[in-house]
Amino acid sequence: MPGSILGTAVVRVEDPDLLTGRANFVDDLPISGVLHLTFVRSPVAHARVRSVDMADARAMPGVVAVFAAEDLGLPPYQGLMVLNPACERQPLATDKVRFVGDAVAVIAAESRAAAIDAAEAVVVDYDELPPAIDPERALAPDAPLQFEALGTNRAAAMHAGSDDDVLAGSDVVVRGRFENQRIAVMPMEASAIAVVPGDDGNGHDLTVYVSTQMPHGVANKLSETLGLPVETIRVIAPHVGGAFGGKPGLAAEHLVAVGVARHLGRPVKWIETRSENLVAMPHGRGQVQYVELGCKHDGTIVGLRLRIVGDAGAYAGFGGALALGPTRIMAQGVYRIPAISFDAAVAVTNTTPMGAFRGAGRPEAAALLERIVDLAADELDIDPVDMRRRNFLQPSDFPFTTVVGTTYDSGDYEAALNEALRHAGYDELRAEQRQRRMRGDRWQLGIGVSAYVEVTAGGAGSEFASVTIDTDGGATIRVGTSAHGQGHATSFAMIVADRLGIAMDQVRFVQSDTSEVPRGGGTGGSRSLQLAGNAVVGAADLVLERARQLAAQLLEANPDDIVMTDDGRLAVAGVPASALSWERVAAAAADANEPLAAEFDFRQEGATFPFGAHVAVVEIDVDTGAVRLLRHIAVDDCGRILNPLLVAGQQHGGIAQGVAQALWEQYVYDEQGNPLTSNLADYGMPSAAELPSFETLNTETPTPLNGLGAKGIGESGTIGSMPAVQNAVIDGLSYLGVRHIDMPCSPQRVWSAIRDARAGTLPPVWREPPPVFNSTRDTAGAGVAAEAADDIDI
Amino acid sequence: MAVLLPTTIDETLAALAATPAALVLAGGTDVMVDVNEGRRRPEHVVCLRRVETLRARSVENGTLVLGAATTYTELLEPEIAAVAPAITDAARTVGSPQIRNAGTIGGNLATASPAGDTLPVLLALGASVEIDGPAGRRRIALQDFLVGPKRSALEPGDLMIAVRIPIRRGPQEYLKVGTRNAMVIAVASLALVVDLDARTVGIGLGSVGPTAFLAAAAAEWLTPRLVWADDRVSLPQAADAATFAGLVAAAAQPIDDHRSTARYRTHAIEVMASRALRRAVQFGAPHRAAT
Repeated sequence: MPGSILGTAVVRVEDPDLLTGRANFVDDLPISGVLHLTFVRSPVAHARVRSVDMADARAMPGVVAVFAAEDLGLPPYQGLMVLNPACERQPLATDKVRFVGDAVAVIAAESRAAAIDAAEAVVVDYDELPPAIDPERALAPDAPLQFEALGTNRAAAMHAGSDDDVLAGSDVVVRGRFENQRIAVMPMEASAIAVVPGDDGNGHDLTVYVSTQMPHGVANKLSETLGLPVETIRVIAPHVGGAFGGKPGLAAEHLVAVGVARHLGRPVKWIETRSENLVAMPHGRGQVQYVELGCKHDGTIVGLRLRIVGDAGAYAGFGGALALGPTRIMAQGVYRIPAISFDAAVAVTNTTPMGAFRGAGRPEAAALLERIVDLAADELDIDPVDMRRRNFLQPSDFPFTTVVGTTYDSGDYEAALNEALRHAGYDELRAEQRQRRMRGDRWQLGIGVSAYVEVTAGGAGSEFASVTIDTDGGATIRVGTSAHGQGHATSFAMIVADRLGIAMDQVRFVQSDTSEVPRGGGTGGSRSLQLAGNAVVGAADLVLERARQLAAQLLEANPDDIVMTDDGRLAVAGVPASALSWERVAAAAADANEPLAAEFDFRQEGATFPFGAHVAVVEIDVDTGAVRLLRHIAVDDCGRILNPLLVAGQQHGGIAQGVAQALWEQYVYDEQGNPLTSNLADYGMPSAAELPSFETLNTETPTPLNGLGAKGIGESGTIGSMPAVQNAVIDGLSYLGVRHIDMPCSPQRVWSAIRDARAGTLPPVWREPPPVFNSTRDTAGAGVAAEAADDIDI
Repeated sequence: MAVLLPTTIDETLAALAATPAALVLAGGTDVMVDVNEGRRRPEHVVCLRRVETLRARSVENGTLVLGAATTYTELLEPEIAAVAPAITDAARTVGSPQIRNAGTIGGNLATASPAGDTLPVLLALGASVEIDGPAGRRRIALQDFLVGPKRSALEPGDLMIAVRIPIRRGPQEYLKVGTRNAMVIAVASLALVVDLDARTVGIGLGSVGPTAFLAAAAAEWLTPRLVWADDRVSLPQAADAATFAGLVAAAAQPIDDHRSTARYRTHAIEVMASRALRRAVQFGAPHRAAT
């Protein structure tokens, strides 16, 4: 009896096409007569638009049309969710521009070059207004208002958890103000869309090829926004060059592209440049966190008080809601915390709108907890590992509902930490650290630990799949998720191979086309395997059941006696000679006019909670502040593993992005709102030259919530690595008295901390939060945004 | 926009004489960024890619002569590393392989950015620039060529022909601080070149002033404190190293920007000066030659 293919390292079936350049992305698609779109974008952060003069641009060779907002008359844009309806965004700016990069007009031309040249010929008369760039300052009473009608830059606010003094009864309270900085999403393929208007001969009036995580989401939002029947819209996502949360459905520019195509009755495409992507695609993170943790002398946690300022960017981008949603629901993390008080205030600022980036609100929660726990350990003179062990939730606690109301499915946090420490050789590392300190080495060692829990499949937990047995005996899978690098074609084919005994190379995979797949939630929030994977299981099981009935008829046996043979055929138990191939059974089904196929919508009763522990080892040059990541050990538990190769791939990519935030990446504006890091020379994205080979491991604690026992793995690496690396840098300098360094821990910041520590002039880690929190407890209506934020699935 | 594709230096000079405002395009790694960002809209472009003689490399009487269109990748070749190792070190830190295949030493000099990676090295080596143009063929010492931030002594109609680099026997160091290891613009950089024959030291600094420049006062202070032998140089008073590093740092005139602060840049220069000196020079009393 051969073993199951599940749990084995199967090489990705997607890779040959990608590696040999056969894969098509939006820009590769041959679309005859396609026009090229270029946007005219605001060079100033905040201004009234007095006039838009398009006459010269319209007269230029190759230019077909130039549109400002009033020429297209499009309805307001709605992103994945609306944080505050009073901060509505017009797809092309009308009265005001609100960030550098805000689109004012669009060119449609016969060539890309002609479109770019024409964009420069559009003359926009801006009447500049003072901008609000920093989210804390934007919340001050005298800050320039982005939406005068709103009367404030506060887009949303809320209070949750305890109303009492949660720190009462503490022996020690540690306090920290932490910045979780704004970063760029930076998929390798920037935004891209091609729109073909008109009847396609198959009942569609509009065909959209778009680089997205959520093709059905794009179709639904277009239908909703433009009032078109959804069945007349066909949305296809071809190969997508990465998304990381930055492509969650319809973008404002997509709406413009559709508007132009329908207006002109001609196909159009918009392929974003890298520099454009860095001002136009929503940014991620962007929180200022005021964190207070009360403890007993022995390290036992008494209570946690959080006050968080979220940056929503312009137009209250939905990323601003992540503080209210995922950061809040994960505020208890992996610890027993008897009481939590949570307040958040979200500001609109004259910056690129905020959205999701890998982790989307959960890394921010893990980071603040892991930082404050390290501060407490330092204050109490307890080893950071012991501090965590004294406060971990225990395996017997699950399912566990936290004091902020989140129900964790399963976990064993200490086991993951123990595994990470064992693999790292924690005691030996500490010994080496002591030696280097005693010798006064130039390169000091820092050891950072993090333990985290996160939430996956957190939105409405349902997904579609179907399995069809084709006439050749192979199978076709259709799913409503939309893989763009995750390896679903491989993992879902493994499931069919396991359930139906059909070889993987005979399994076809269909996704990302709304005319081929009736419904779907797309790929985000690490939802795909647990929802779509289990839907494939359900559909395959229904197919098998029906196949057994068909086989029973053909073999004149009882369906209960039909079994699958080792070579993937159906036979009467104990009579292998009777075995029928899938081809034969499918033919019988076709003869009966009922193809051998089944659909299944898998619904999961609640989110799942992956967890893990990371250990980062850094060297710090105390002369220059340079930091080298020497080792990174990650133990990530995503429940039962279907394909360890895919899991390790997600760990490696996720870790790289978490390390990048800890050490290098930050999106910076000057005081006027000019982006200073809007290309890859200035934005600190690392390359392989910065990173060691990661040491990835797993524990496997299955979830009881789905048959595969699977949780998500897409974001864990980022969530675990970022605090571990930041903690490692600070740990390396703790002997000097350094207690905190904000991310990114650049050489200049690290050296400044060393210098200040030696001079006894370290800045305080805490300061009082801004007055906006005096009123968050009585904010009416904020709960709406918070509830919506619970359903975010990025 | 007209693009001219000359194949010889004479053709290039003629093209430039006819359109003195033309943009000279070599590797394009700086120019195309400006064009893409709309900072330059050239009417005429003179492209040097086909002028083979601008890529000639030779050694003439102890001077390495590099055609202005020599690429960074070519600077990595062993013949150059053997005679001017710091140039190779600097070229290795430029961009990515694609950038190094395109970008040229002449472009680096003509752009005259204070962060240009080869500039501190060429200054420390005492390089000069050979120019042809309306004023005739001439040589300008590099420190006189770099007249301001992103401004060089090239006049309209001028073409940089070659960079002339004295071959110096002795240790050479190039150090660079940036925000990451690869593909990074220098936050601060320093080159230190020892000439055992001339018994001189050259120190070039980058990203800490309006141009790359020589820390001449620090070099003058250091030279008499060194003890010279045929094959090495020593600094008898190790404490002098700190004073030297302080003098180099004092020469820096950095600014705050989004890449770093002036204070950090000054500190980084001091650390690099100290490290470069320690690598190039033996500290303590000179060893007596074995008998």
